[in-house]
Amino acid sequence: MSETAVSTVEAPQPGRYTVPGPPPRPRSQLVGTGFAIAAVSMAVAGALGHYMARRHLLDDPGHDWLAGQSVPNPQLVYALITLLVSVVTAHWAHWASRRGERGHTWVGMAITLVMGFAFFNMVMYSLNRMEIELGAGEWENLAFAVTGLSLAILIVGMFYLGLMTLRSLGGSVGRDRSTPLGSAVFFWDFAVLAWAATWYVVYVVK
Amino acid sequence: MTDATTEAAHSTGSAVAPQAEDPTAFGLLSTADHKRIGRLFIGFSLLFAVAGAVTDVLVRFDLASDSGHTVLNLETFTQVFMFTRDALVFGMLIPFFLGVAIYIVPLQVGAPNIAFARAAALSFWGWLVSFGVLVGAYIGNGGPAGGWDDGVRLHMLALAGLVISLIVGAICVAVTTLAMRAPGMYMDRTPPFAWSALVMASMLVVSLGVVLGQLVLLYIDHGYGRHFLDGNYGVWPRIDWMYRTPQLFIYVVPVLGVAAEIMLAAARRWVFEPLALYFTMGLVGLFGFGAWANFGIAGEGADVVDGLEGIVLVGLYAGALAGVGGLLALLGFTVWQSRKWPRPTTAVLAAFGAGKLIAVAALIGLIGAGVDWLNIAGRGVDGNAPLRFTTWVTGQQSLLIYGAGLLGVLAALHWWAPKIWGRRLSELVGWASFAAIGGGAFLAWLGPTLSGAFTEQPQFVYNDPQLTTVYGSLTDSSGAEGLSVVGGIGVVIVLAGVGLVVLNLLVSVGMGKGAETDADPWGGLTPEWLLDSPPALGQSDSLPQLSSGTPLLDAELNGSAAPAEREASEVPA
Repeated sequence: MSETAVSTVEAPQPGRYTVPGPPPRPRSQLVGTGFAIAAVSMAVAGALGHYMARRHLLDDPGHDWLAGQSVPNPQLVYALITLLVSVVTAHWAHWASRRGERGHTWVGMAITLVMGFAFFNMVMYSLNRMEIELGAGEWENLAFAVTGLSLAILIVGMFYLGLMTLRSLGGSVGRDRSTPLGSAVFFWDFAVLAWAATWYVVYVVK
Repeated sequence: MTDATTEAAHSTGSAVAPQAEDPTAFGLLSTADHKRIGRLFIGFSLLFAVAGAVTDVLVRFDLASDSGHTVLNLETFTQVFMFTRDALVFGMLIPFFLGVAIYIVPLQVGAPNIAFARAAALSFWGWLVSFGVLVGAYIGNGGPAGGWDDGVRLHMLALAGLVISLIVGAICVAVTTLAMRAPGMYMDRTPPFAWSALVMASMLVVSLGVVLGQLVLLYIDHGYGRHFLDGNYGVWPRIDWMYRTPQLFIYVVPVLGVAAEIMLAAARRWVFEPLALYFTMGLVGLFGFGAWANFGIAGEGADVVDGLEGIVLVGLYAGALAGVGGLLALLGFTVWQSRKWPRPTTAVLAAFGAGKLIAVAALIGLIGAGVDWLNIAGRGVDGNAPLRFTTWVTGQQSLLIYGAGLLGVLAALHWWAPKIWGRRLSELVGWASFAAIGGGAFLAWLGPTLSGAFTEQPQFVYNDPQLTTVYGSLTDSSGAEGLSVVGGIGVVIVLAGVGLVVLNLLVSVGMGKGAETDADPWGGLTPEWLLDSPPALGQSDSLPQLSSGTPLLDAELNGSAAPAEREASEVPA
């Protein structure tokens, strides 16, 4: 910082200083995304906690709780693996963006988004096979709500990734300008984790 | 200013053009200036404080009869009861301090605006619209206990809108404190109020997030078969934790920040151990996390927390008490060190009273939790209601919302009115407000506390057979009516105090009768007192040179100069 920046006046005279200018720290979007993740993770935790508390009230959760539903495990596992791979490609895109390699950035983001769509395709197929009827029972309602919440978070994550990809297409790449994309990737990591938790609780432990 | 703009400006070192603000009332609709957003939050939250106190008067006097409902009827009683909680917590307490934080925190940390300014504006408008929808749901016979099913779901949607809006505002405040401080102002040198706002915002984010997940489940189940809700009444017990202790402690953490600002300015000293100041406020926020408490109320998972619930509650209240007690001791020691008795302005009196009441609330909470845990006087056994299901809770709510909360509101308004509106509020009216709010809050606490302790009057409703199993199993006992009258009179006095506050604002600020002030009429220590009163709308392209949260005190103690302003182009990349 230059010497002029720390110059002083002769005596304390309040009221002579103007409202300040641009913030000196560039990572406000990353910090804000962290707080958003905290809020959404607590929402998922609250929903899953409620789900588990209701299940805990039943004496025979395996029978009464699912009421004859069968879960297509292979498809849901493939869907989860697809999401996990998309985390790798998202980080590849961010890594490339920080190095200023635009081609890699865009290819990485495109693959990530395609995998996101593929995930939704697989999950919707699985849920259709299960023929969950909303309102048919307590498990159906809770499973629908918790699953829907996690899917909504993934949709927000894909939207966020898409927006930040457009920004990188507009030239926001490089070490100092990749924070927005890094924030979106951070949120995507969390969205995948939230789905993994939901999948384990609702479709594995049931 | 968007984050991209700030980042670009930062990386290139170029100045950002001042953001134009339409000074007319129409400009309020499109404003992204933290000062106007903060004023909007403050103004509307005071209106909702009046609405909440009025409906609370109806509830309290309705309880003052042993022959059924006299003021309200069965349906409207439960709806007015619930609206009162919504109005006082989500209409007044949280948004008021969020509004003050949105106004003051950027000035305190040397930021040009609140982080994500348009998101902050969205937070205000989302909150206002959601609150309007919530009122509409109640009017249309909705709300958690309403008779109109769509209205019940509309209330849930409105509540979700309120929660999301307040979380967005909280994120803006937290990010401003964490990521937009002036260079050289480290976290251990942030002003007390900015720190308390960070604590409140962080805890709001993590605690209110829980209710969002719950609302998704409740909304789906309510709309499709109600397999676990047991009717419309099932909604309230699952969200009730947001309106009661220990969660209420989170909402009043900024009151501790206001008290610290005012007491330290009065002492003209900084605390001997700043980390203790921050740590104690953090403790109160941390131990206020009450999202888990709904399991004990709704019955879901109750057997899991049985046995643990009592000791956990005792621990939470003890932690909160340690935090508040430690902070007050620290501030008291600092005032004692200064060998100066503070001038009894409204701000000083209200700050002192508010801080003390939070400590009293924590102590009473600890006593109540201990009684429940140890089954003292047969509480919680042999069909006797634990204190946490009686109007003992209403007493705690009165102490924290009316007492600490409204006295904190009074202190903040009187202290920062010069900075927010450029005029001082009337001290005479301020003292009258202090007396009315303090005295009224005492009675509002005393009545329900005694009726809860000695007559087991249920906290939820009065003699209502349609309640959930937990509340429905409790019956009202005679003898509570007179105590309800005491509480009702207390709320009437509180309402008069709030009316005086609003009147004071209208006359002193709205009609311009208050004395105009210079930049620092109180001898404040923190950076906002370096700025004009009020600061001009919009933002300039210069940054203050700050190295601590108390630049004016530093200059006074060192006999040196106040910090000079710095051009944005000098901001290091």
